[in-house]
Amino acid sequence: MQQLNLLLTSLPDGLLLGFVYGLAAMGLTLIWGVMNVINLSHGPIITLGMFSTFFIYTRLGLNPYIGVLPIALVGLLLGILIYTAAVHRVINGPHLSSLLATFSVNMIIIGLGTAALTTSPYNVDFSAGSFKLGNATILGTRIIAAIVTLAFTGGLYLFLYRTRPGKFIRAVANNRAAAELMGVPSTRILALSFGIGTMLAAVAGGLIATFFPFSILSGSGYELKSFVIGVLGGLGNPIGALFGGLILGILEGIIPAFIESSWVPVIEFVLFIFILLVRPSGLFGAKK
Amino acid sequence: MALLEIKDVTSGYGDVQILWGASLSLEKGKLTCLVGGNGVGKTTLLRTVMGLIRPWSGVILFDGKEVNKLSAYTKAEMGLVLVPEGRQLFTDMTVHENLEMGATNQRARPNFQRNLERVYEMFPRLKERSRQKAGTLSGGEQQMLAVARGIMAEPLILIIDELSLGLAPVLVLQLFEGLKLLRQEGITILLVEQNVQLALTISDYGYVLAEGKVKMEGPARKLIKDKHVRSTYLGL
Repeated sequence: MQQLNLLLTSLPDGLLLGFVYGLAAMGLTLIWGVMNVINLSHGPIITLGMFSTFFIYTRLGLNPYIGVLPIALVGLLLGILIYTAAVHRVINGPHLSSLLATFSVNMIIIGLGTAALTTSPYNVDFSAGSFKLGNATILGTRIIAAIVTLAFTGGLYLFLYRTRPGKFIRAVANNRAAAELMGVPSTRILALSFGIGTMLAAVAGGLIATFFPFSILSGSGYELKSFVIGVLGGLGNPIGALFGGLILGILEGIIPAFIESSWVPVIEFVLFIFILLVRPSGLFGAKK
Repeated sequence: MALLEIKDVTSGYGDVQILWGASLSLEKGKLTCLVGGNGVGKTTLLRTVMGLIRPWSGVILFDGKEVNKLSAYTKAEMGLVLVPEGRQLFTDMTVHENLEMGATNQRARPNFQRNLERVYEMFPRLKERSRQKAGTLSGGEQQMLAVARGIMAEPLILIIDELSLGLAPVLVLQLFEGLKLLRQEGITILLVEQNVQLALTISDYGYVLAEGKVKMEGPARKLIKDKHVRSTYLGL
Protein backbone atom coordinates (compact mmCIF):
# COMPACT_ATOMS: atom_id res chain seq x y z
CA MET A 1 0.00 0.00 0.00
CA GLN A 2 2.76 2.34 0.95
CA GLN A 3 4.57 1.35 -2.23
CA LEU A 4 1.48 2.08 -4.27
CA ASN A 5 1.27 5.52 -2.75
CA LEU A 6 4.91 6.13 -3.50
CA LEU A 7 4.33 4.91 -7.04
CA LEU A 8 1.41 7.27 -7.55
CA THR A 9 3.44 10.19 -6.29
CA SER A 10 6.55 9.52 -8.35
CA LEU A 11 4.96 8.29 -11.56
CA PRO A 12 3.66 11.67 -12.86
CA ASP A 13 7.00 13.20 -12.01
CA GLY A 14 8.84 10.59 -14.02
CA LEU A 15 6.45 10.84 -16.93
CA LEU A 16 6.87 14.60 -17.21
CA LEU A 17 10.63 14.24 -16.91
CA GLY A 18 10.42 11.74 -19.76
CA PHE A 19 9.23 14.44 -22.16
CA VAL A 20 12.46 16.36 -21.71
CA TYR A 21 14.57 13.22 -21.99
CA GLY A 22 12.76 12.56 -25.23
CA LEU A 23 13.50 16.07 -26.50
CA ALA A 24 17.23 15.64 -25.88
CA ALA A 25 17.26 12.19 -27.48
CA MET A 26 15.41 13.54 -30.50
CA GLY A 27 18.44 15.70 -31.23
CA LEU A 28 20.84 12.77 -31.02
CA THR A 29 18.70 10.47 -33.09
CA LEU A 30 18.00 13.08 -35.78
CA ILE A 31 21.70 13.58 -36.42
CA TRP A 32 22.27 9.83 -36.55
CA GLY A 33 19.32 9.36 -38.89
CA VAL A 34 20.42 12.01 -41.36
CA MET A 35 24.18 11.48 -41.49
CA ASN A 36 25.05 8.31 -39.51
CA VAL A 37 27.11 10.31 -37.07
CA ILE A 38 26.97 9.64 -33.35
CA ASN A 39 27.31 13.06 -31.82
CA LEU A 40 29.52 12.66 -28.75
CA SER A 41 29.29 16.39 -28.09
CA HIS A 42 25.61 15.88 -27.32
CA GLY A 43 26.13 15.89 -23.54
CA PRO A 44 28.10 19.14 -23.27
CA ILE A 45 25.55 20.85 -25.54
CA ILE A 46 22.87 19.83 -23.04
CA THR A 47 25.07 21.32 -20.31
CA LEU A 48 25.48 24.55 -22.26
CA GLY A 49 21.68 24.76 -22.38
CA MET A 50 21.60 24.34 -18.60
CA PHE A 51 24.11 27.12 -17.99
CA SER A 52 22.30 29.38 -20.42
CA THR A 53 19.18 29.06 -18.31
CA PHE A 54 21.28 29.67 -15.21
CA PHE A 55 22.67 32.92 -16.57
CA ILE A 56 19.36 34.12 -17.91
CA TYR A 57 17.67 33.51 -14.57
CA THR A 58 20.39 34.24 -12.02
CA ARG A 59 22.47 36.90 -13.73
CA LEU A 60 19.93 38.66 -15.90
CA GLY A 61 17.08 38.09 -13.50
CA LEU A 62 14.70 37.07 -16.28
CA ASN A 63 12.10 34.30 -16.35
CA PRO A 64 14.02 31.19 -17.47
CA TYR A 65 11.44 30.39 -20.16
CA ILE A 66 12.26 33.64 -21.94
CA GLY A 67 15.53 31.85 -22.65
CA VAL A 68 14.01 28.99 -24.64
CA LEU A 69 14.02 30.71 -28.02
CA PRO A 70 17.46 32.36 -27.72
CA ILE A 71 18.89 29.04 -26.47
CA ALA A 72 17.31 27.30 -29.46
CA LEU A 73 18.83 29.83 -31.84
CA VAL A 74 22.28 29.67 -30.27
CA GLY A 75 22.07 25.85 -30.21
CA LEU A 76 21.23 25.85 -33.91
CA LEU A 77 24.12 28.13 -34.82
CA LEU A 78 26.54 26.26 -32.57
CA GLY A 79 25.58 23.00 -34.25
CA ILE A 80 26.13 24.47 -37.72
CA LEU A 81 29.51 25.70 -36.51
CA ILE A 82 30.46 22.29 -35.07
CA TYR A 83 29.37 20.56 -38.26
CA THR A 84 31.34 22.93 -40.47
CA ALA A 85 34.48 22.94 -38.33
CA ALA A 86 34.68 19.35 -37.11
CA VAL A 87 32.26 16.98 -38.78
CA HIS A 88 32.06 17.89 -42.46
CA ARG A 89 35.58 16.84 -43.41
CA VAL A 90 35.13 13.37 -41.91
CA ILE A 91 31.50 12.85 -42.94
CA ASN A 92 32.42 10.28 -45.59
CA GLY A 93 35.14 8.66 -43.50
CA PRO A 94 34.75 5.66 -41.21
CA HIS A 95 32.49 6.01 -38.16
CA LEU A 96 35.51 6.21 -35.88
CA SER A 97 36.58 9.50 -37.48
CA SER A 98 33.32 11.27 -36.76
CA LEU A 99 33.19 9.72 -33.28
CA LEU A 100 36.63 11.13 -32.53
CA ALA A 101 35.79 14.49 -34.09
CA THR A 102 32.65 14.97 -32.00
CA PHE A 103 34.44 13.58 -28.94
CA SER A 104 37.09 16.27 -29.42
CA VAL A 105 34.39 18.92 -29.49
CA ASN A 106 33.04 17.32 -26.31
CA MET A 107 36.45 17.67 -24.63
CA ILE A 108 36.89 21.25 -25.82
CA ILE A 109 33.53 22.36 -24.43
CA ILE A 110 34.09 20.57 -21.12
CA GLY A 111 37.62 21.98 -20.86
CA LEU A 112 36.55 25.55 -21.55
CA GLY A 113 33.54 25.12 -19.28
CA THR A 114 35.64 23.79 -16.42
CA ALA A 115 38.06 26.68 -16.76
CA ALA A 116 35.28 29.22 -16.70
CA LEU A 117 32.76 27.65 -14.34
CA THR A 118 34.72 25.01 -12.38
CA THR A 119 33.08 21.63 -11.86
CA SER A 120 31.08 22.68 -8.80
CA PRO A 121 27.30 22.38 -8.91
CA TYR A 122 24.96 25.18 -9.94
CA ASN A 123 21.29 25.49 -9.29
CA VAL A 124 18.41 27.41 -10.83
CA ASP A 125 16.20 28.15 -7.88
CA PHE A 126 13.07 28.87 -9.85
CA SER A 127 9.54 27.80 -9.05
CA ALA A 128 6.55 27.87 -11.36
CA GLY A 129 4.19 26.76 -8.60
CA SER A 130 2.75 23.32 -8.09
CA PHE A 131 -0.55 21.58 -7.64
CA LYS A 132 -1.86 18.40 -6.06
CA LEU A 133 -3.03 15.46 -8.08
CA GLY A 134 -4.19 12.86 -5.57
CA ASN A 135 -1.17 12.33 -3.41
CA ALA A 136 1.24 13.56 -6.01
CA THR A 137 2.61 17.08 -6.17
CA ILE A 138 3.02 18.19 -9.75
CA LEU A 139 5.61 20.89 -10.29
CA GLY A 140 4.81 23.73 -12.65
CA THR A 141 8.32 23.65 -14.12
CA ARG A 142 7.77 20.09 -15.28
CA ILE A 143 4.41 20.87 -16.83
CA ILE A 144 5.90 23.79 -18.74
CA ALA A 145 8.86 21.66 -19.84
CA ALA A 146 6.49 19.00 -21.18
CA ILE A 147 4.52 21.64 -23.08
CA VAL A 148 7.69 23.14 -24.55
CA THR A 149 8.78 19.64 -25.60
CA LEU A 150 5.48 18.98 -27.32
CA ALA A 151 5.73 22.32 -29.10
CA PHE A 152 9.23 21.51 -30.36
CA THR A 153 8.20 17.99 -31.39
CA GLY A 154 5.22 19.31 -33.29
CA GLY A 155 7.37 22.01 -34.85
CA LEU A 156 10.01 19.49 -35.88
CA TYR A 157 7.40 17.21 -37.41
CA LEU A 158 5.82 20.05 -39.41
CA PHE A 159 9.25 21.24 -40.48
CA LEU A 160 10.33 17.79 -41.71
CA TYR A 161 7.08 16.93 -43.48
CA ARG A 162 5.69 20.24 -44.65
CA THR A 163 8.57 22.51 -45.64
CA ARG A 164 11.03 22.30 -48.48
CA PRO A 165 14.20 22.33 -46.33
CA GLY A 166 12.60 19.71 -44.08
CA LYS A 167 11.88 17.47 -47.04
CA PHE A 168 15.45 18.01 -48.22
CA ILE A 169 16.63 16.76 -44.82
CA ARG A 170 14.53 13.61 -45.21
CA ALA A 171 15.73 13.13 -48.77
CA VAL A 172 19.39 13.46 -47.76
CA ALA A 173 18.78 11.04 -44.87
CA ASN A 174 17.15 8.57 -47.21
CA ASN A 175 19.57 8.67 -50.17
CA ARG A 176 22.21 11.35 -50.18
CA ALA A 177 23.65 10.51 -53.62
CA ALA A 178 20.23 10.76 -55.23
CA ALA A 179 19.48 14.00 -53.42
CA GLU A 180 22.70 15.51 -54.74
CA LEU A 181 21.82 14.39 -58.23
CA MET A 182 18.50 16.26 -57.93
CA GLY A 183 20.43 19.38 -56.99
CA VAL A 184 19.75 19.33 -53.24
CA PRO A 185 22.59 21.31 -51.60
CA SER A 186 23.57 18.42 -49.37
CA THR A 187 26.36 20.12 -47.41
CA ARG A 188 24.05 22.90 -46.28
CA ILE A 189 21.33 20.40 -45.46
CA LEU A 190 23.70 18.29 -43.36
CA ALA A 191 24.86 21.39 -41.46
CA LEU A 192 21.26 22.41 -40.87
CA SER A 193 20.36 18.93 -39.59
CA PHE A 194 23.29 18.93 -37.20
CA GLY A 195 22.21 22.39 -36.04
CA ILE A 196 18.66 21.23 -35.38
CA GLY A 197 19.99 18.21 -33.47
CA THR A 198 22.10 20.38 -31.18
CA MET A 199 19.27 22.90 -30.87
CA LEU A 200 17.01 20.22 -29.42
CA ALA A 201 19.74 19.11 -27.01
CA ALA A 202 20.39 22.68 -25.86
CA VAL A 203 16.69 23.40 -25.29
CA ALA A 204 16.32 20.15 -23.34
CA GLY A 205 19.28 21.18 -21.18
CA GLY A 206 17.74 24.58 -20.63
CA LEU A 207 14.56 22.93 -19.36
CA ILE A 208 16.30 20.32 -17.17
CA ALA A 209 18.18 23.13 -15.43
CA THR A 210 14.93 24.07 -13.69
CA PHE A 211 14.59 20.53 -12.26
CA PHE A 212 17.96 19.49 -10.82
CA PRO A 213 21.29 21.01 -9.81
CA PHE A 214 23.98 20.55 -12.42
CA SER A 215 27.67 21.05 -13.16
CA ILE A 216 29.65 21.30 -16.37
CA LEU A 217 30.01 17.51 -16.26
CA SER A 218 26.29 16.73 -15.93
CA GLY A 219 25.72 16.40 -19.65
CA SER A 220 27.31 12.99 -20.00
CA GLY A 221 24.62 11.34 -17.87
CA TYR A 222 21.91 12.77 -20.07
CA GLU A 223 23.87 11.84 -23.17
CA LEU A 224 23.85 8.21 -22.07
CA LYS A 225 20.12 8.39 -21.41
CA SER A 226 19.72 9.77 -24.93
CA PHE A 227 21.48 6.70 -26.29
CA VAL A 228 19.14 4.38 -24.38
CA ILE A 229 16.11 6.37 -25.54
CA GLY A 230 17.36 6.56 -29.10
CA VAL A 231 17.70 2.80 -29.30
CA LEU A 232 14.39 2.29 -27.51
CA GLY A 233 12.56 4.53 -29.95
CA GLY A 234 14.49 3.36 -33.01
CA LEU A 235 17.66 5.23 -33.97
CA GLY A 236 16.96 7.84 -36.59
CA ASN A 237 13.30 8.13 -35.67
CA PRO A 238 12.72 11.48 -33.87
CA ILE A 239 9.09 10.81 -33.00
CA GLY A 240 10.06 7.38 -31.61
CA ALA A 241 12.55 9.21 -29.40
CA LEU A 242 9.75 11.10 -27.68
CA PHE A 243 8.00 7.83 -26.82
CA GLY A 244 11.33 6.30 -25.77
CA GLY A 245 11.83 9.28 -23.47
CA LEU A 246 8.43 8.80 -21.91
CA ILE A 247 9.15 5.12 -21.30
CA LEU A 248 12.45 5.94 -19.65
CA GLY A 249 10.82 8.68 -17.57
CA ILE A 250 8.09 6.30 -16.41
CA LEU A 251 10.73 3.72 -15.45
CA GLU A 252 12.51 6.35 -13.43
CA GLY A 253 9.21 7.09 -11.75
CA ILE A 254 8.38 3.47 -11.01
CA ILE A 255 11.70 1.87 -10.08
CA PRO A 256 12.43 3.91 -6.93
CA ALA A 257 9.07 2.84 -5.53
CA PHE A 258 10.34 -0.72 -5.32
CA ILE A 259 14.10 -0.67 -4.97
CA GLU A 260 16.87 1.79 -4.24
CA SER A 261 17.17 4.48 -6.86
CA SER A 262 20.82 3.60 -7.41
CA TRP A 263 19.45 0.63 -9.35
CA VAL A 264 17.88 2.94 -11.94
CA PRO A 265 20.89 3.11 -14.27
CA VAL A 266 21.47 -0.63 -13.90
CA ILE A 267 17.96 -1.41 -15.02
CA GLU A 268 18.05 1.21 -17.79
CA PHE A 269 21.19 -0.18 -19.32
CA VAL A 270 20.10 -3.79 -18.96
CA LEU A 271 17.03 -2.71 -20.91
CA PHE A 272 19.31 -1.02 -23.45
CA ILE A 273 21.24 -4.24 -24.07
CA PHE A 274 18.05 -6.27 -24.07
CA ILE A 275 16.51 -4.06 -26.77
CA LEU A 276 19.70 -4.27 -28.83
CA LEU A 277 19.56 -8.04 -28.60
CA VAL A 278 15.93 -8.73 -29.30
CA ARG A 279 14.74 -5.71 -31.25
CA PRO A 280 17.67 -3.67 -32.54
CA SER A 281 15.39 -1.48 -34.66
CA GLY A 282 13.74 -0.21 -31.46
CA LEU A 283 10.12 -0.32 -30.43
CA PHE A 284 8.99 2.20 -33.02
CA GLY A 285 11.16 1.29 -35.98
CA ALA A 286 14.60 2.61 -36.90
CA LYS A 287 15.84 4.18 -40.06
CA LYS A 288 17.19 1.38 -42.26
CA MET B 1 22.71 20.52 -84.38
CA ALA B 2 23.88 18.17 -81.70
CA LEU B 3 22.63 19.13 -78.25
CA LEU B 4 25.25 17.04 -76.51
CA GLU B 5 28.56 16.19 -78.03
CA ILE B 6 31.16 13.91 -76.51
CA LYS B 7 34.53 13.88 -78.26
CA ASP B 8 37.32 11.41 -77.55
CA VAL B 9 36.59 11.19 -73.86
CA THR B 10 38.86 9.08 -71.68
CA SER B 11 38.17 8.45 -68.04
CA GLY B 12 38.26 5.88 -65.25
CA TYR B 13 38.71 5.35 -61.54
CA GLY B 14 42.09 5.88 -59.86
CA ASP B 15 44.68 4.25 -62.10
CA VAL B 16 42.17 2.13 -63.93
CA GLN B 17 41.25 3.50 -67.32
CA ILE B 18 37.77 2.48 -68.49
CA LEU B 19 37.02 4.78 -71.40
CA TRP B 20 39.52 4.85 -74.26
CA GLY B 21 38.33 7.72 -76.40
CA ALA B 22 34.55 7.50 -76.66
CA SER B 23 32.73 9.86 -79.01
CA LEU B 24 29.03 10.31 -79.50
CA SER B 25 26.54 13.04 -80.17
CA LEU B 26 22.87 13.46 -79.36
CA GLU B 27 20.67 15.16 -81.91
CA LYS B 28 18.05 17.45 -80.46
CA GLY B 29 14.66 15.80 -80.09
CA LYS B 30 15.92 12.34 -80.95
CA LEU B 31 15.98 9.15 -78.99
CA THR B 32 19.51 7.80 -79.03
CA CYS B 33 20.62 4.58 -77.44
CA LEU B 34 23.95 3.43 -76.16
CA VAL B 35 24.19 -0.33 -76.01
CA GLY B 36 26.82 -2.84 -75.10
CA GLY B 37 27.47 -5.77 -72.80
CA ASN B 38 28.28 -5.73 -69.14
CA GLY B 39 31.42 -3.87 -68.11
CA VAL B 40 32.17 -2.08 -71.38
CA GLY B 41 32.05 1.37 -69.75
CA LYS B 42 28.45 2.47 -70.29
CA THR B 43 27.89 3.60 -66.73
CA THR B 44 31.36 5.17 -66.54
CA LEU B 45 30.57 7.17 -69.64
CA LEU B 46 27.34 8.40 -68.04
CA ARG B 47 29.07 9.29 -64.80
CA THR B 48 31.65 11.25 -66.76
CA VAL B 49 29.04 13.06 -68.80
CA MET B 50 27.08 13.93 -65.65
CA GLY B 51 30.15 15.22 -63.84
CA LEU B 52 30.17 12.59 -61.11
CA ILE B 53 33.70 11.80 -62.28
CA ARG B 54 35.97 14.07 -64.35
CA PRO B 55 37.04 13.22 -67.90
CA TRP B 56 40.81 12.64 -68.16
CA SER B 57 40.88 14.02 -71.67
CA GLY B 58 38.48 14.90 -74.44
CA VAL B 59 35.62 17.39 -74.59
CA ILE B 60 31.99 17.35 -73.54
CA LEU B 61 29.88 20.03 -75.20
CA PHE B 62 26.36 20.82 -74.06
CA ASP B 63 24.52 23.13 -76.42
CA GLY B 64 27.89 24.13 -77.86
CA LYS B 65 29.48 25.03 -74.49
CA GLU B 66 32.23 23.02 -72.85
CA VAL B 67 30.96 21.46 -69.62
CA ASN B 68 33.88 19.13 -68.75
CA LYS B 69 34.36 20.42 -65.24
CA LEU B 70 30.86 21.30 -64.13
CA SER B 71 29.30 19.38 -61.25
CA ALA B 72 26.29 17.12 -61.60
CA TYR B 73 24.31 19.74 -59.71
CA THR B 74 25.14 22.50 -62.19
CA LYS B 75 24.39 20.21 -65.10
CA ALA B 76 21.01 19.35 -63.62
CA GLU B 77 20.32 23.09 -63.44
CA MET B 78 21.23 23.35 -67.12
CA GLY B 79 18.82 20.56 -68.06
CA LEU B 80 21.02 17.48 -68.24
CA VAL B 81 19.15 14.98 -66.09
CA LEU B 82 20.10 11.44 -65.16
CA VAL B 83 17.70 8.67 -64.20
CA PRO B 84 20.26 6.54 -62.40
CA GLU B 85 20.68 2.80 -62.55
CA GLY B 86 18.95 1.04 -59.68
CA ARG B 87 16.36 3.87 -59.51
CA GLN B 88 17.81 5.50 -56.38
CA LEU B 89 14.41 6.58 -55.13
CA PHE B 90 13.70 8.16 -51.77
CA THR B 91 12.08 4.99 -50.50
CA ASP B 92 10.91 6.45 -47.18
CA MET B 93 9.17 9.36 -48.89
CA THR B 94 5.88 9.34 -50.74
CA VAL B 95 5.54 9.17 -54.51
CA HIS B 96 4.47 12.80 -54.52
CA GLU B 97 7.44 13.86 -52.38
CA ASN B 98 9.82 12.01 -54.71
CA LEU B 99 8.38 14.02 -57.58
CA GLU B 100 8.79 17.22 -55.56
CA MET B 101 12.46 16.38 -54.97
CA GLY B 102 12.87 15.82 -58.70
CA ALA B 103 11.78 19.41 -59.27
CA THR B 104 14.49 20.89 -57.05
CA ASN B 105 16.40 22.88 -59.66
CA GLN B 106 15.52 26.51 -60.39
CA ARG B 107 14.27 25.91 -63.91
CA ALA B 108 11.90 23.16 -62.81
CA ARG B 109 10.33 24.78 -59.74
CA PRO B 110 8.00 27.24 -61.46
CA ASN B 111 6.70 24.47 -63.75
CA PHE B 112 6.05 21.98 -60.97
CA GLN B 113 2.28 21.81 -61.40
CA ARG B 114 2.40 21.44 -65.17
CA ASN B 115 5.06 18.72 -65.00
CA LEU B 116 3.18 16.92 -62.25
CA GLU B 117 0.07 16.72 -64.42
CA ARG B 118 2.23 15.57 -67.30
CA VAL B 119 3.79 12.65 -65.42
CA TYR B 120 0.51 11.63 -63.79
CA GLU B 121 -1.06 11.54 -67.23
CA MET B 122 1.82 9.47 -68.53
CA PHE B 123 1.81 7.11 -65.55
CA PRO B 124 -1.69 7.01 -64.03
CA ARG B 125 -0.52 4.31 -61.61
CA LEU B 126 1.67 6.86 -59.89
CA LYS B 127 -1.25 9.20 -59.43
CA GLU B 128 -3.25 6.44 -57.75
CA ARG B 129 -0.33 5.83 -55.41
CA SER B 130 0.81 9.40 -54.89
CA ARG B 131 0.52 9.21 -51.11
CA GLN B 132 2.20 5.82 -50.84
CA LYS B 133 5.83 5.46 -49.83
CA ALA B 134 8.06 4.84 -52.83
CA GLY B 135 9.60 1.80 -51.13
CA THR B 136 6.23 0.03 -51.15
CA LEU B 137 5.81 0.23 -54.94
CA SER B 138 6.40 -2.72 -57.24
CA GLY B 139 9.58 -2.83 -59.32
CA GLY B 140 7.83 -1.54 -62.43
CA GLU B 141 6.12 1.28 -60.57
CA GLN B 142 9.43 2.24 -58.99
CA GLN B 143 11.03 2.49 -62.41
CA MET B 144 8.10 4.62 -63.60
CA LEU B 145 8.66 6.87 -60.60
CA ALA B 146 12.38 7.13 -61.35
CA VAL B 147 11.61 8.25 -64.91
CA ALA B 148 8.82 10.55 -63.70
CA ARG B 149 11.15 12.14 -61.17
CA GLY B 150 13.59 12.78 -64.00
CA ILE B 151 10.87 14.46 -66.06
CA MET B 152 9.99 16.69 -63.09
CA ALA B 153 13.48 18.18 -63.40
CA GLU B 154 12.42 19.76 -66.71
CA PRO B 155 15.14 18.04 -68.72
CA LEU B 156 16.46 19.15 -72.07
CA ILE B 157 18.29 15.85 -72.17
CA LEU B 158 17.05 12.88 -70.19
CA ILE B 159 19.64 10.16 -69.71
CA ILE B 160 18.23 6.84 -68.57
CA ASP B 161 20.55 4.14 -67.27
CA GLU B 162 19.24 0.58 -67.61
CA LEU B 163 15.54 1.24 -67.91
CA SER B 164 14.63 -2.39 -68.49
CA LEU B 165 16.81 -4.04 -65.86
CA GLY B 166 14.83 -6.53 -63.78
CA LEU B 167 11.47 -5.63 -65.26
CA ALA B 168 8.89 -7.87 -66.91
CA PRO B 169 8.74 -7.35 -70.72
CA VAL B 170 5.20 -5.97 -70.60
CA LEU B 171 6.29 -3.25 -68.19
CA VAL B 172 9.32 -2.44 -70.29
CA LEU B 173 7.09 -1.93 -73.33
CA GLN B 174 4.85 0.35 -71.30
CA LEU B 175 7.83 2.46 -70.21
CA PHE B 176 9.13 2.59 -73.77
CA GLU B 177 5.75 3.95 -74.89
CA GLY B 178 6.26 6.68 -72.28
CA LEU B 179 9.65 7.52 -73.79
CA LYS B 180 8.11 7.90 -77.23
CA LEU B 181 5.68 10.44 -75.77
CA LEU B 182 8.56 12.36 -74.26
CA ARG B 183 10.38 12.44 -77.56
CA GLN B 184 7.23 13.81 -79.19
CA GLU B 185 7.35 16.63 -76.68
CA GLY B 186 10.83 17.48 -77.88
CA ILE B 187 12.91 16.03 -75.07
CA THR B 188 16.21 14.59 -76.19
CA ILE B 189 16.74 11.14 -74.72
CA LEU B 190 19.79 8.96 -74.26
CA LEU B 191 18.85 5.43 -73.38
CA VAL B 192 21.60 3.23 -72.01
CA GLU B 193 20.68 -0.42 -72.22
CA GLN B 194 21.97 -3.94 -71.97
CA ASN B 195 18.83 -5.09 -73.71
CA VAL B 196 20.14 -4.34 -77.19
CA GLN B 197 17.16 -5.59 -79.16
CA LEU B 198 14.60 -3.52 -77.24
CA ALA B 199 16.73 -0.39 -77.22
CA LEU B 200 17.39 -0.49 -80.96
CA THR B 201 13.73 -1.15 -81.69
CA ILE B 202 12.54 2.17 -80.33
CA SER B 203 15.59 4.40 -80.89
CA ASP B 204 16.34 6.73 -83.78
CA TYR B 205 20.08 6.28 -83.60
CA GLY B 206 22.35 3.85 -81.82
CA TYR B 207 25.89 3.51 -80.56
CA VAL B 208 27.54 0.23 -79.67
CA LEU B 209 30.14 0.53 -76.95
CA ALA B 210 32.84 -2.11 -76.46
CA GLU B 211 36.12 -1.98 -74.53
CA GLY B 212 35.67 1.68 -73.67
CA LYS B 213 35.19 2.85 -77.25
CA VAL B 214 32.35 3.27 -79.68
CA LYS B 215 32.66 0.24 -81.96
CA MET B 216 29.72 0.96 -84.25
CA GLU B 217 27.12 3.62 -84.77
CA GLY B 218 24.27 4.33 -87.12
CA PRO B 219 20.52 4.65 -87.50
CA ALA B 220 18.96 2.13 -85.13
CA ARG B 221 17.00 0.28 -87.79
CA LYS B 222 20.21 -0.29 -89.73
CA LEU B 223 22.14 -1.45 -86.69
CA ILE B 224 19.48 -3.97 -85.80
CA LYS B 225 19.95 -5.60 -89.20
CA ASP B 226 23.71 -5.55 -89.02
CA LYS B 227 25.31 -8.97 -89.09
CA HIS B 228 27.91 -8.25 -86.42
CA VAL B 229 25.37 -6.71 -84.05
CA ARG B 230 23.00 -9.60 -84.59
CA SER B 231 25.58 -12.25 -83.89
CA THR B 232 27.32 -10.50 -80.99
CA TYR B 233 24.44 -8.89 -79.12
CA LEU B 234 21.25 -10.46 -80.29
CA GLY B 235 22.43 -14.05 -80.45
CA LEU B 236 20.99 -14.49 -83.91
